[in-house]
Amino acid sequence: MSHTAPALETRQLVYAVDGKVILKGIDLRVDYGEVLGIMGASGSGKTTLLKCLCGLLKPTSGEVWVEGVNIAPLSERERMPLRLRLGIVFQYAALFDYLTVYQNVAFGLERHRRLSKAQIREIVRERLAWVGLEGVENLYPSQLSGGMRKRVGLARALAMDPHIVLFDEPSSGLDPVNAYQVDRLITRLNRELNLTAVVVSHDVVSLMRTCSRIVMIDDGQIIAEGTPAAIRASEHPKVQAFLQMASAEAL
Amino acid sequence: MWLDEESPRRSHPLYATLEFVGALGVLLVASLRGVLGGRIEGRETVHQMAFIGAASAPIVALTSAFTGAVVTLYSASLLVDAGGSGFVGGALALAMTRELAPILTGIMVTARCGSAIAAQLGTMKITEQIDALRALAVSPVQYLVIPRVLAALIMFPMLGMIANFAGLVGGFVIANAFGIGANSFLQSIRLLTEPFDVIGGLIKTLVFALIITLVSAQQGLSTRGGAAGVGHATTRAVVISMVLIFAANYFLADLLFAER
Ligand SMILES: Nc1ncnc2c1ncn2[C@@H]1O[C@H](COP(=O)(O)OP(=O)(O)OP(=O)(O)O)[C@@H](O)[C@H]1O
Ligand SMILES: [Mg+2]
Repeated sequence: MSHTAPALETRQLVYAVDGKVILKGIDLRVDYGEVLGIMGASGSGKTTLLKCLCGLLKPTSGEVWVEGVNIAPLSERERMPLRLRLGIVFQYAALFDYLTVYQNVAFGLERHRRLSKAQIREIVRERLAWVGLEGVENLYPSQLSGGMRKRVGLARALAMDPHIVLFDEPSSGLDPVNAYQVDRLITRLNRELNLTAVVVSHDVVSLMRTCSRIVMIDDGQIIAEGTPAAIRASEHPKVQAFLQMASAEAL
Repeated sequence: MWLDEESPRRSHPLYATLEFVGALGVLLVASLRGVLGGRIEGRETVHQMAFIGAASAPIVALTSAFTGAVVTLYSASLLVDAGGSGFVGGALALAMTRELAPILTGIMVTARCGSAIAAQLGTMKITEQIDALRALAVSPVQYLVIPRVLAALIMFPMLGMIANFAGLVGGFVIANAFGIGANSFLQSIRLLTEPFDVIGGLIKTLVFALIITLVSAQQGLSTRGGAAGVGHATTRAVVISMVLIFAANYFLADLLFAER
C-alpha cells in the first residue's frame, strides 16, 4: 500500500433497497489525516453512505475501499476484522440499552484488547471526559438525555482508538456549548492524533468550522465538492439554497 | 448474508418462504460453526439458561400437571369401570413421555421465550444496536444467537423431565381419587413404558429447542420498521415456531416411536 492510497474510497457506489436507488454512483475519496464533511438534505442518503463505508451495508454495485481493501465483495465474516480500523458514531447513538454507560464504552475494549480492568476503567473515564461526561458511568442509556446518549456513543467509538472515524451528525441534538465542544474535540483529535474523520451534518456552520473539505450530497449523488470556501462560493443552486437556509437558521 | 442486506419488503410468498428457509439454514450453520469454533459467551449463556430454563420450569410444571390430571380424568373414568384400572398409570406415562411433555415444553417456552427473543433482537435491530455490535466487530450470531441456542439445548431436556414428573404427579392425584393406589399406579407405569419412551421424548425437546431459538432469532434479526415491525416479528416467531414444532413432532414420532 503506497502512502498515497486514500483512507477510504468509493467508486461508482450504488445502494438500492426495495427497488429504490438510494445512492446513485458515489465517487468519494477520503485521504489520511483529513476531516471530510458531508452535508445534504434529510433523506439524501448520508447515513446510508456512511454505513456502506464501514461495511454495515453491502453495496448493490460499485467498490468501497477501506485502507486499500475493497470490502464490497467480502462476506460479513471477512469484513468483521476490518471494522476495527474504523469507528462509527451512530446518528441515534445506538447504545446497548441493557448495559450501563461504562459497559457500553468498555464493550469493544473488553472484547478486542488485552487490557487490565484498571486500564479499561482509565480509558473509559478519559473518553467520557473528552465528551464532557462525568459521573454517569453507572447509569443506563434510558436514564440519560438524548444529547448525553449521543456523547456516550461518541465515547464508545473513540474508546477503540480507531484512526478513521465516521461521525453521523455528532452534534445534532446537543446544546450549542456541547455541540461546539464536539466540534473542537474532532479538530483536536485530527490535529493531535492525525485522526481521519468523515463528519455528516446538517449544521453548515459547524462543518465549515471543522472540515478541510466538504461534499454535498443530493438525492444520492454528489453535487458539489471542495474546500469550505469553494463550497461557499459554489453556484450550484441546490448548494446555494442549502447555505442560505442554513445561514437564515443561524440568525 | 442477511445481516448486511435488507430483504425486499413485499416479495412473493414462495420467494419469502425460500428466503426464510435459507436464512434459517444460514443461522443454523453459523451457530454450529460458532459452537465448534469454541468461542462461547459464557456469561450470556448462563443468563439465558436461567431465563429459558429455570424461569420456565414453574409454568411447564403447572401446565403439565393439569394436563396429566385431565388425561387421567378421562382414562380413569373409562378404564376403572371396565376393570382396567391397572392401565391408568401406564397410559398416562406413555402419553406424557412420548408426546405431552415435549409438546407442552415446546409450547410454553415458545410463548415465554420465543416471543421474548424475537422482541429483544427485533428491538435491537431497529434501534441499530445490532449495527453497533457489528461495527465493534462483534458477531450478533456469536454474541446473541449462540448463547440462546445453547441455553435452550441444555435446558430443554431438563424441562422435559420436569414436565414428565409433574404430569405424572397431576395424574396420580386424580387416579387416587378414582381409588387407584400408588402401587398399582407405579406398577402400571413400569409395565407399559420403557426407558426409550423417556429418551425419545427428550430427543424431541432438543429438536424443539433448536426450532424455537433459531426461528425466533431469525425473525428478530430480520425485523424491519418500527414498533409494529417488532410486533410482527414477535407474532411470526411464535406462530412459525408452533407450526414447525407440531410438524416436527409428527415426523419425530414416526421416526422414534412408530416401530414400537
Ligand atoms: N432500510 C431502508 N429501507 C428503505 N428505505 C430506506 C432504508 N434506509 C434508508 N432508506 C431511504 O433512503 C433514503 C436515505 O436515507 P438516509 O438515512 O441515508 O438519509 P440521511 O441523508 O441520513 O437523512 P437524515 O439527514 O434525515 O439522517 C431515505 O429516503 C430513506 O427513506
Ligand atoms: Mg441520517
